[in-house]
Amino acid sequence: MTYILTVDDSRIMRKIMSGAIEALGFQVLEAGDGVECLVQVEAHIEDVCLILMDWNMPNMDGLTALKRLKASEITNTIPVMMVTTEGERGKMVEAIRAGAANYLAKPFAEEDLMTKMVECLQDRLNLV
Amino acid sequence: MMMNAAGQSTNAIDAKLVNTLMKAVMEVCGTMAGTQVTLKEVVPSLDYKPVGDISSVIGISGENGEGMLTLSFTEPMAGLLVGRLLGMAPEEICSEDMCDGIGELVNMVSGRAKTSLSEDSGTLYRLSLPSIIKGPGHEIGGRPKNCPFLFLVFEADGHSFVLQVTFRYF
Repeated sequence: MTYILTVDDSRIMRKIMSGAIEALGFQVLEAGDGVECLVQVEAHIEDVCLILMDWNMPNMDGLTALKRLKASEITNTIPVMMVTTEGERGKMVEAIRAGAANYLAKPFAEEDLMTKMVECLQDRLNLV
Repeated sequence: MMMNAAGQSTNAIDAKLVNTLMKAVMEVCGTMAGTQVTLKEVVPSLDYKPVGDISSVIGISGENGEGMLTLSFTEPMAGLLVGRLLGMAPEEICSEDMCDGIGELVNMVSGRAKTSLSEDSGTLYRLSLPSIIKGPGHEIGGRPKNCPFLFLVFEADGHSFVLQVTFRYF
């Protein structure tokens, strides 16, 4: 079973992203903050193929979680796409430098989310 | 009128910010909820005014200034927009999702405003996490004092909702 993990403190955003994930044929995992994200990744380490990460969340923000994931040899190969209201170019550069595979600013059209997810997954799953 | 070192009115809500907010509301409602909204009127006020049944509030702060944005809806308007966010009928939406959806709307609108402010000033601004207040005549505590507010009244599908904004440059 192959999961895409959506990390956002908004239930609504997780539901919206879950619809796009399922439309691509993947299973959904959810986390409400960076701490829950790390727990979910550890529990499903073999099956998580992509993480959609919000930036501003309570307990642990998305950038911190991204850095934790990229600092570990076990999790650093999982692509992380930031999906966030942080639209400034400087924030985007900061996330990419920290290891984000892609970046999508909210609000977004569902087709843009799906396109960027496929871009992230192409290398890992050898999709054509 | 008080001016800061950069020549900005310390209590000004400039036209560019209003334009940015208007575009942000239209883009968020259009892109995420498939709902075309129009700006009906812009009304200045000396203070915040309670409007609607449910509001989402977010604070914005940076080196150059700070402010607050509030999106206020009637229950039917909130149900319409959140229902369209989720692809559900308004009556199917639970209270928790309703509050969460309204919070996410103000989060996305203020995110766009923050980006514009940051690009204009070269200074990064930060957003607080959104808060939700419910009930007719609800008040918002902890709001900036002695700052003028601007009401942006939007309309969609025969319903209206209000964005109240205040911003003060240091």
